[in-house]
Formats: sequence, C-alpha cells, structure tokens
Amino acid sequence: MAYTFPLGPYHPALEEPFKVNVQCKGEIIESATIEVGFSYRGIEMLAQQRNWIEVVTLIERVCGICSNTHASTFCMAAESIAGIEIPKRAATIRTIVAELERLHSHLLWAGIGAEDIGFHSLFMEVFNLRERVMDMLEAISGNRVNYGMNCIGGVLRDIADPLSHLPVLDAMEKTMTNVVIPVFTKNPTVLARTRNVGRLTREQAIEWAVVGPVARASGVDIDVRKDQPYLAYADLGFTSITRPEGDVLARVVVRALEMLESIRLVREALKSIPDGRLRATEGMPHVPAGEATMRTEAPRGEAFYYVASEGGNGPARVKIRTPSFVNIPAIQAMITGLPLADLSIVQASVDPCISCTDR
Amino acid sequence: MTASTRNAKARPMTADPPPALTERLASINGVASVTFHNRGLWVDAPMLDVEAMADAMTALGIRLATITAIPQSVKGETTIIYHFIAESMIVSFRTQTRNGALASLAGRLRAAAWAEREIRDLFAVDFPGHPNLVPLLKPSGFANGMVREAMCGPAALANSPTSALRVK
Repeated sequence: MAYTFPLGPYHPALEEPFKVNVQCKGEIIESATIEVGFSYRGIEMLAQQRNWIEVVTLIERVCGICSNTHASTFCMAAESIAGIEIPKRAATIRTIVAELERLHSHLLWAGIGAEDIGFHSLFMEVFNLRERVMDMLEAISGNRVNYGMNCIGGVLRDIADPLSHLPVLDAMEKTMTNVVIPVFTKNPTVLARTRNVGRLTREQAIEWAVVGPVARASGVDIDVRKDQPYLAYADLGFTSITRPEGDVLARVVVRALEMLESIRLVREALKSIPDGRLRATEGMPHVPAGEATMRTEAPRGEAFYYVASEGGNGPARVKIRTPSFVNIPAIQAMITGLPLADLSIVQASVDPCISCTDR
Repeated sequence: MTASTRNAKARPMTADPPPALTERLASINGVASVTFHNRGLWVDAPMLDVEAMADAMTALGIRLATITAIPQSVKGETTIIYHFIAESMIVSFRTQTRNGALASLAGRLRAAAWAEREIRDLFAVDFPGHPNLVPLLKPSGFANGMVREAMCGPAALANSPTSALRVK
C-alpha cells in the first residue's frame, strides 16, 4: 500500500527543523520532497541595516555551528572590495579558528550520526572528544559558539600562548586514531547501517552541484582550500580527502580523515604564527563603492558570499549561499529506493544545517 | 582512502583567467563585456540569453553556485547575478529581469531550482518554465516579494557601533 510519511519539521532525528516528505510503497521509499524555511530570519535584509562593524556580529549568527566561517568569509569579501590585505598573523589565527570549528562541527555530526543508528556509547565518546575542541575555542576566544574573532581588516583577539594547546591536539589525535575512526570504519553495527546506503554517484553529485564532504565522498575532488587557497592554507599545505563510493560510509570516512587533517593544520599553524599586528585597520572601516564575491570551505562545504558597497557606512547587499542550501536537495536522490528505516541516517549523512539554509 | 596532495602555492588566489574562457564568455548571446576584478570574472549582459549562458557553462563543466537578486526599485526591475564556479575562479553574469521575469534555468541546472524559488519568495521575480515554483522560505499568508520593499529603502546607519545597552 502506498502512503506518505513526514519526517519533520520537528523530529528526534533532526538537529533543526526541516521536513522530508517521503512517498513509500510498503517499506520502500519511492520519492521524496523536502521543505525548508522554518527558521527564516531575513539576515540578508537585516545586513543592509547594520554598519560595517555591527554587520559582522549579525553575519556570525547565520549559523550556530559554523559561525566563524560566515564572519570570516564576509570580512574577506569586504576586505577584497576595500583592497585591505590583512596581516599574516591575523590570517593564521583565522585559519586556526576555522579548522577548530571544522573539528567541532565534524564531531557534532559524528555524534549525531552515532545517535541516529542507536550507538549511544559512540555518541558519548565522540561528544567527550568534541568538548576538548570547545574548551580550546573557549580558551582562545572566550566563547563557545559565536567566537567574535573577526573584524574587517583582521582579528580582534590574539592567541596568547599558542604552544600551550599542542598537548590537547596530541590527545585528540590519539583518541581519533585509536577509538573514533576504527569504530566508525570497522564496527559491524556501524557498517551494517552505512555501507552501500544512501548512494550518490559521481554523476549525480555533479548534477545536483553538491559541495564539501558530500561531493568528496562521491569522488568529486573540490575543496576551496585547495582550489583557491586563502588565509594561511597556501603556506600550511593541504591534503584533500576523497572517496569514490558515494555512500553514507564514504561520507563518514571523509569527515573522519578530514578531522586528522584539521588537527595537523591547527598544530602547524600554532607552531608557526608569525609576528606582527592583528589588524590592518583601526576603528570604523571604510569600504568604497564596489562589489566582490568570496568563497571559503566551511565544515559542510563551500560557503559563498556576494557583498556590494555603495561607499556608505554599511553594505548595500549581502548574498549568502551556504553549503547546505545545495546539499540538502540531493537527499532526494540518495533515499529513493531505500527502506524507510534508512531515511534518518541518510539525511543526517548530509550534515544538513537548517539555520544556515534558511538564514 | 584517496588523498590528493597538492602544492597549494601553485595556484595563487589571484590567478588571471584563461583567455579561452574569457573569449567563450564574450561569445554568449547578449554579453556586452567581460572584465576581471576582485579575483573574479564579471560578465555584464543586460539582455543576456540566460538559457544560452546555462548551456555554455554546462559545456565548459562550470557549475552554478547561486543567484543573487538586487531589486532596483519597489515596483521596477531586478538585477540578477548568476554566480558560477570554475575550479579556481568565480564567474558572475549580471543581467536584469524583463517585465519582472527571467526564463527559469531549473530544467537545465538543478542548482537553480531552489535559488529561483527563494528569489520569487523574497523579491517577486517570476521564472517561467520552472517545474515547481512553489514557496521555499515564505511562510503561508505572505505575498511574493516579502522583503523587496524593505531592501529598496535607503539605509540610515550610524557611523559607529551602536548598542541598545548604551543609552545616553
């Protein structure tokens, strides 16, 4: 018998409100439609009503997970219009915070993924590890969600004793290597729920224009850190991780290995923070008339910003395209033909961020 | 694991565009000029044939990132900017609506489907040919173009940070 099943907008499997309506025949999903917009806040409109200092605070609140991504990408776009070159010290600090943010975001995803397949002990292990990252972010910025590190022209805070964070990174790497990654890649419970589940072929990934770990897990080797290096990535070097399978397990493995790469990047950056100023400008920045596009690699993939200035006290237009905005629609392609029981972990494998998507 | 190690230094963020790409963009029907600034290619094309643009970019293997809409006035036309991503370059086509509409690209480029639905919700631009132009972000009870008027108004901004907590 055919029937429709609504997952969401409020459901224990969802971090934030969105809705997947699946049409099933028996236990098999035949088609799906996706609804978003439950968290729309009009941030692009509000950005036109903030000056160049206030708007950074607003933009940082696009997302509660990748908040730093949004603030730094916006600042880079404004700096591009104004022709501001930020000090190397500031670029390195931005890179450190960006990679710590990727670590805690991927660990958040891993914990939720574990919970979605009923693996509670793995959830606890992962969230214990994530707490170490949150502590480090709090030690650096004073905050755990909106770090307030970025301003147009550089950063607002220094990292006082960079080498003091290295032992935490070593401990995290050890737990990641010895516990988290082996469990996610070898445990029969995990493999039974993730291998050959929710496939998105390379051709489908290109057709749906997905980005980030979702694209890389389908063999599409795109990563802004590699393709158009920014901040300190060109100096630190970078290894992108791809898998050809395109299933949930591939997305798990890509994110797991990316966490090890993030730990390496943070470690190298902490060891090599250059001397110098934190900001290229002081006070209210002057952004002349002009426009710029900017993209960075957020934890979920490419974040894209268009910023226009008319030379006034604030931006004339801010357009934000978050990675989840292009990744979420591809859930439709992943779940067709699967048992209804797989819907929860497949949608979670995209790591959908609804706050970002709705803005 | 497949891991590709690249020397990021080999690809500077400010690489100039390949001449062949610039020439191909200039040949698309309706393109008036192609310039390179702020690390991106900007294509000015008030009467752009958007379907020809989509076909050309697909043939070049360049993906659509998103579409920006900028209302020119409350009741008037809307500037539309199509942003495409070549591997290390952003290509932006600037055009404008004609009588409040532009042909939909959703049938050609999947990434256009949600972007066009959002622009219809926020700015009341029509995209004839869209296979499913239903609201994306707009709550029920609101008319199309729910932020258009607000985003056309002149901004009155303080020349310093302000805070409701700092009342003099």
